[in-house]
Amino acid sequence: MDLFQWLLALHVTGAFLLMGGGVIAAILNLAALARERPSEIVLLFGLIRVAVASILVGSLLALVFGLWLVHEAGYGYGDGWVVAALVLFVLGNAMGGAGGRRDERTAAYARELAASGDAPSAELRAHVHDPISLALSYGSGLILIVILALMTWKPGA
Amino acid sequence: MLALIRPDSWNLPLFLHIFGAITVFGATATLAIAGFAARRTEEHQQLLARTIARTWVLGVLPAWLLMRIAAEWIAGKEFPDGVETPGWVGVGYIVSEGSGALLLVAGILVWFSVRRGRVMLAVPILATICVLGYAVAWFAMSGKP
Repeated sequence: MDLFQWLLALHVTGAFLLMGGGVIAAILNLAALARERPSEIVLLFGLIRVAVASILVGSLLALVFGLWLVHEAGYGYGDGWVVAALVLFVLGNAMGGAGGRRDERTAAYARELAASGDAPSAELRAHVHDPISLALSYGSGLILIVILALMTWKPGA
Repeated sequence: MLALIRPDSWNLPLFLHIFGAITVFGATATLAIAGFAARRTEEHQQLLARTIARTWVLGVLPAWLLMRIAAEWIAGKEFPDGVETPGWVGVGYIVSEGSGALLLVAGILVWFSVRRGRVMLAVPILATICVLGYAVAWFAMSGKP
């Protein structure tokens, strides 16, 4: 394999870890939306940490090797699709991070409730179904799909 | 350098193939994560068994089909009849068909797990084997050694 092939393989590995982590987080989040008991929500939100690790490693690999690939393949850093992908990447990460921090607070509250009787709570349910958290998390996922489309079609290249 | 000279008509099947592959990777990894988590908790066996079952039906199965159908679509464009396929395509076929068989077995075991209210250990083990296979496939299919 030459340098271009290695860079592409490592960039794609990052993309799989990033987006695959998003899929894992979405599945576990959807499962948590259907639960009432705090201990169940603690368990499902706790498993999302594995997805977060995958997202962090994947983001780093996709960004570093993606930028290197732009140079190696002869594209320009000012090309429209490259700029759009980078802007969306930053926006998606910011949204996902903000959604994740809100979910961390929900998980902490669920742990408190689980330790004190594990009874369902309307307030916890409201936190889990918080529309801002859901919009941030699922919005970041949609942005990743748009980035994948940009990487495939490369409009203007 | 294929990406630089790829015809436009290949983009949609390629996008759907990659999207399906990423989704089946994430959904299969969820089977492994939830399945191994079930080994550490007695209290939430039923919850994790049901989560795994829903993930298999609504995530793994449709995503695997999307990945596989889109793979045939783009393979038909890239390697029409009579054109010899390179080794990295063969890796893709071996992994997709092998993982399909393993996921089918896992699906049957998931059904038993839900009925028993306890996740069978073979489910996350089979899912982990599939995830490792996917990693080999995406590396081979993107690097094209």
